[in-house]
Amino acid sequence: MKPETVVIKPMPSRFKHKVPKYKVTRSDACINCGMCAKSCPYGVHERIEGHNKMRPPIDYKCIGYECRKNDEFYCVYKCPRKALSLSLNPMYETLGDCRWTSDMIIATWIMAETGYPPERTDIGYQTGNSDGGFDKLRLKFPVNPLKVERDEISTELRLNRRNDGRSNVVISTPMYGGGMSFGSVSLSTMLSKARNATIWNTFTCTGEGGYPEMLYPYDDHVITQVATGLFGVREETIQRVRIVEFKYAQGAKPGLGGHLLGEKNTESVARMREAVKGTSLFSPFPFHSVYSIEDHKKHIDWIKQMNPKALVSVKVSTPNDVDMVAVGSYYAGAHIIHIDGGYGGTGAAPDIAKKNIAMPIEYAIPKVHNFLKEEGARDAVTLIASGGIRTAHDLVKAICLGADGAVVGTAEMVALECVRCGNCESGRGCARGIASTDSELADLFDDEWATQRIVNLYHAWNYQLVEILQKFGMKSVSELVGRTDLLEHVDYS
Amino acid sequence: MNSADKILASRIPLCSNVPQLNQNTEEEGGCGVTGFISSIPVTGKNIFEPSVQMHNRGNGKGGGIAAVGFIPEALGVSRQILEEDYMLHIALLDESIAGELAETFILPFLTIDKSEKLARIDDYHNIGLEVKPPEIMRYFVRVKQDVLDSFIRDNKLESLDRRDAEDEFVYQNSFKINTKYYASLGDKKAFVMSHGRNMMILKIVGYAENVVKYYKLEDFKAHAWIAHQRYPTRGRVWHPGGCHPFSALNEALVHNGDFANYQSVCDYLKQRNYYPLFLTDTEEAALMLDLWSRVYKYPLEYLIEALAPTSEMDFDLLTPEKQAVYKAIQTHHVGSSPDGPWFFIIAKNDVQKNQLQLIGITDTAMLRPQVFALQEGEVQIGLICSEKQAIDATLISLEREDPRFRPIADKYWNARGGSYTDGGAFIFSLVDSGDGAGSKKLICTDKFGKVIATPKGKAICDTVKVPAIDEVANKEMYSWLQEQFTAIDGQGGWNIFTCVRDRLKTFSPESFQRCIETIMGLAQQSDEFRQVALDALTLLTDRRFDTGALKRSSVLHVLKINLDAILASMPAIAKNAGEHFCHIDFSTRADLRPPLKNEQTLVLDAEHFEAEGNLCDAILLVAAYKLGWKKFIIYKYRGQRFTGCGFGPKTQGIRINVYGSSGDYLASGIDGMEIHVHGNAQDQLCQIFKDGKLVVYGDVGQTFMYGAKGGAAYIMGNAAGRPLINAVGKPRVVINGTALDYLAESFMAGDPLNGGGFVVLNGIGFSDEDGSIMEYDSPYPGSNIFSLASGGAIYVRDPHKKLVDEQLNGGEYAEMTDADWNLILPYLHENEKLFGIALEDLLTVNLKKKEPREVYRKIRPKKAVVMDKNDSGLGEACSCK
Repeated sequence: MKPETVVIKPMPSRFKHKVPKYKVTRSDACINCGMCAKSCPYGVHERIEGHNKMRPPIDYKCIGYECRKNDEFYCVYKCPRKALSLSLNPMYETLGDCRWTSDMIIATWIMAETGYPPERTDIGYQTGNSDGGFDKLRLKFPVNPLKVERDEISTELRLNRRNDGRSNVVISTPMYGGGMSFGSVSLSTMLSKARNATIWNTFTCTGEGGYPEMLYPYDDHVITQVATGLFGVREETIQRVRIVEFKYAQGAKPGLGGHLLGEKNTESVARMREAVKGTSLFSPFPFHSVYSIEDHKKHIDWIKQMNPKALVSVKVSTPNDVDMVAVGSYYAGAHIIHIDGGYGGTGAAPDIAKKNIAMPIEYAIPKVHNFLKEEGARDAVTLIASGGIRTAHDLVKAICLGADGAVVGTAEMVALECVRCGNCESGRGCARGIASTDSELADLFDDEWATQRIVNLYHAWNYQLVEILQKFGMKSVSELVGRTDLLEHVDYS
Repeated sequence: MNSADKILASRIPLCSNVPQLNQNTEEEGGCGVTGFISSIPVTGKNIFEPSVQMHNRGNGKGGGIAAVGFIPEALGVSRQILEEDYMLHIALLDESIAGELAETFILPFLTIDKSEKLARIDDYHNIGLEVKPPEIMRYFVRVKQDVLDSFIRDNKLESLDRRDAEDEFVYQNSFKINTKYYASLGDKKAFVMSHGRNMMILKIVGYAENVVKYYKLEDFKAHAWIAHQRYPTRGRVWHPGGCHPFSALNEALVHNGDFANYQSVCDYLKQRNYYPLFLTDTEEAALMLDLWSRVYKYPLEYLIEALAPTSEMDFDLLTPEKQAVYKAIQTHHVGSSPDGPWFFIIAKNDVQKNQLQLIGITDTAMLRPQVFALQEGEVQIGLICSEKQAIDATLISLEREDPRFRPIADKYWNARGGSYTDGGAFIFSLVDSGDGAGSKKLICTDKFGKVIATPKGKAICDTVKVPAIDEVANKEMYSWLQEQFTAIDGQGGWNIFTCVRDRLKTFSPESFQRCIETIMGLAQQSDEFRQVALDALTLLTDRRFDTGALKRSSVLHVLKINLDAILASMPAIAKNAGEHFCHIDFSTRADLRPPLKNEQTLVLDAEHFEAEGNLCDAILLVAAYKLGWKKFIIYKYRGQRFTGCGFGPKTQGIRINVYGSSGDYLASGIDGMEIHVHGNAQDQLCQIFKDGKLVVYGDVGQTFMYGAKGGAAYIMGNAAGRPLINAVGKPRVVINGTALDYLAESFMAGDPLNGGGFVVLNGIGFSDEDGSIMEYDSPYPGSNIFSLASGGAIYVRDPHKKLVDEQLNGGEYAEMTDADWNLILPYLHENEKLFGIALEDLLTVNLKKKEPREVYRKIRPKKAVVMDKNDSGLGEACSCK
């Protein structure tokens, strides 16, 4: 069930024209008869009385080839002069990549705009084309599921399972926002993520770059990150929050630490991190105070000492022995184990790292889940997966594989109309003003717009999640955890 | 074939029987390790205390001890048998195979001089164990002559020393036992714990100290003991096969850390017919040690070099002859040098040289904590531990057994891994003293054989006997002291300090003790007197000066006893006395209440608090602060962590004084308060330090001020590895000693002349002989200073220009300007006030007073970022608000 604070409002693109999937071409043969404008129910064509020419077609409104079956209004057939033609938009073809296909990006935009999955059927958004990972997995729905009403279904997730007297944190939907530091993204971006987390009764994470004052009203829904550079980490920031996350490594670049290029280290970023403007900021790849499991426990004890109520989340990447790491973290006192697979990360991680180091998340999740079960620890710890959770379907697959929930990073950015150009590290050059602290670029959108877009996206995901649970005949998302029997691999089924 | 090849070749049939083993190691990261070696045999009780101290370094899923150098009578054998026989200790996980094992592997080949089942307590549940420890069979054995003859003949080992061949036979025989009853089975049945001469290893699933309890070793004596608390990552462990110590023959090794190149080391060993059977990197370490020392016969120095290669600038500073040898060693061992964080403690029976040894070796990058200590006198002891408080706990325990031991060591230090200075290893060797009575003497050397010793011929105060009193002198001292106590200028404490300091040269041990006890006695009279006494004894503890005929560690011991007594005598919190001081301890913690009128300082006896968690004293401190307490004295610390953490922002006006062995993460996160640590401090101090002041009257450990944002810190001694890494903002630090390596890596503390941060590194120490200030050979011996730094500066006292460009990686030397000097001057004044390290002395070089710019050098980031706002394009017209 969505919290009462969630209100869905349409929130259209901030650009005059969205990136269209199709290109509608009008030739010189057009006689400005207006037939197309009259027949198209989507408003692609516009004829203004008194003008001697039709307005150029508004491509992004077109539903494309599937319109062919609509004899009564398909403009290409309707046009008496055969002046109209339809093709895939070349701009569209340059959008996205095999993992984040152009369809998926467009669908995410639609979800962020409307709060629901796209009604159009010409957008294949449930899987990408990567030929691996979640894209090769499908859900196996039963033929006659138990009948469950939408409002009977719970999507809640309990984060503290240790019964240790610390905060009993429950989130309303089994996902929360990933850590993006101030510096890597703009303040508006951070703020809208935090506001969404509050509205959805879930969390967002500061990343490693300080805790901007503007987040204070949302303290109860912010995870403060303690990463290897300790940038912006103060006792005060640790005491503010209900969850503290240790970031040991990032799935996109395990073993590489963090690196904010000097280009992005602007005045306000430097102020927040108390460093020198314009210099590259390094986070070392390990915690230099943690070289072993007993150091790790000590590290967690320290956080617990500073904040006696907070839960501790441990974010690790997915090396081969990720199962051992997870179990070790559990014994060291962590409440949440957050495994970050190799598909995640924005553009700032080097390709060679993204593509070669960490274990794919779909292998890591069951490995950790099963090992925790063997150790008898699974029920006492919350397992969160991240790194390439692009859609509600990915979320469901991750849960079926053994996670309790997921962390969403890139999808939130796409909701803000990120085009996945992958130039995040250039920062000040982010064409969409998301991954930038440049004062002019960061003003490209306001918080209200951005918040609603993310709220809408979460709603669309939650909506799909409930729909899927319905199809499985389940009343709670917790029933789904570890149900690998509900998955099939397209190559081996 | 040479002898080594022959030995290794003789194992070929053996190795072919090893089953295919899992590729993975038994995962484990860390642990706590501790060990000591003493000139007299001491009981197993003494390894108990330090093991308990390091519970939080293990998780109770594995512990082990080793002991070397026994008393023959205690084992019921002759000295000859003890020294010449192998002591075979077999752990029987399944007792029913005992007979079969003996008939297959022992009786046919070995002469048994004595055999017994190790005594144990009846029920392991009674000491809280969950898994039954194995039954242990102990055999004193030699290889039968005819068996050995044919072994030599079959393997063409004639060129070998006969004893070496026998060693190899014993090794192979145990290997066969382990292959058959351990490695090849799903359900393990038995394995050899140790088979060396005059030594034993015992391990259990549980904390190490329970080994002592279970096998009734409380009163069993040995010269050297080591212990290991294991922290296996897996939750369920049912046998101690993977526990430390490990042994290949005459040594026992414990290890803290893990090898990143486990597989590569494994391959190296297998190529030499050493097959690890227990799947831990510790076993590998023991096997390598055996290969290099027993088979290849490396001298210890080369063996250490093979483990922890000398690198970077340290290598350049070796003599050309050493460089040539070391280069050959490094080239050969490129695949077998263990990579990753590790620290070894090895107890060894060096049968060749007839000596017992305790060795500590750290990896080149010094990634694990390590402390060495030495105490000399009538009896001598060398100690190696993960944490200093474990050393102190050992000494306290030993003192109870034999008052010739004292609770404070004469010397504590860290090793600098892979260095040209000490090689990152220290060896305590116990050799015959040559007095004809068989007594032993302890010699401590570093990797290069340089002897580490403490000043000789100094007297020790007898804290057990009541000192005889010279009535006249006593009366005079009493009246003088009383006068000081009533001095109204508030300088009483200082005056007493200076006077006692100056008189120390003439004091006898008795008169010194009497003097301090008189001060303690006078303290009982009033709040003011208590303050004066505390001031005086604290100054005497903190400062370095000539202790005359007395041993400094003994002086500190007397001061500690009396300081503790004064603090313990403060009115208990439940009394509601309303005086200046108020005492609380673990048993009275529930009485905590807000301060009453006049009450200023909460005195906390930390002894029985836990090191972390809800029963940690740090939690009580925060609670007391919330009730209105602002001043704290904490004493009898024994490693409790997180002092000062959790107070929250803006804690100006709070002051904490810390006595005893304080713990890790002290002052981490503090924002405004002031903490004084009277003595050495441990690791991870002042993480994310925001504001305030830390004073340490001693050394600090690893990653001091990691990610600090500001604050001022004054360190009287040295900092270990990686101080100030990733510090930003405006931290200002004076380190009077030096740092092991990686000082101020990724330092980003702005422009020091415009409110940024800096480190002053003085590179001085204190003479063990008379406490005077002395320059180190180099103010900074490490290879990496200020690496990748982008802001801040280091001001290093380097009058002889010892620092060179090779040590920098992104920094540059810059001229010391007047502005720089004016910046650091107030900090040096404060430094003088706190530690008595006079500015004048710092500026004096070879007895000549010099200009600051001749003495200090500045290191700043190479590309000093002096960017013009307009040029850089990084200015922001309207910063995000």
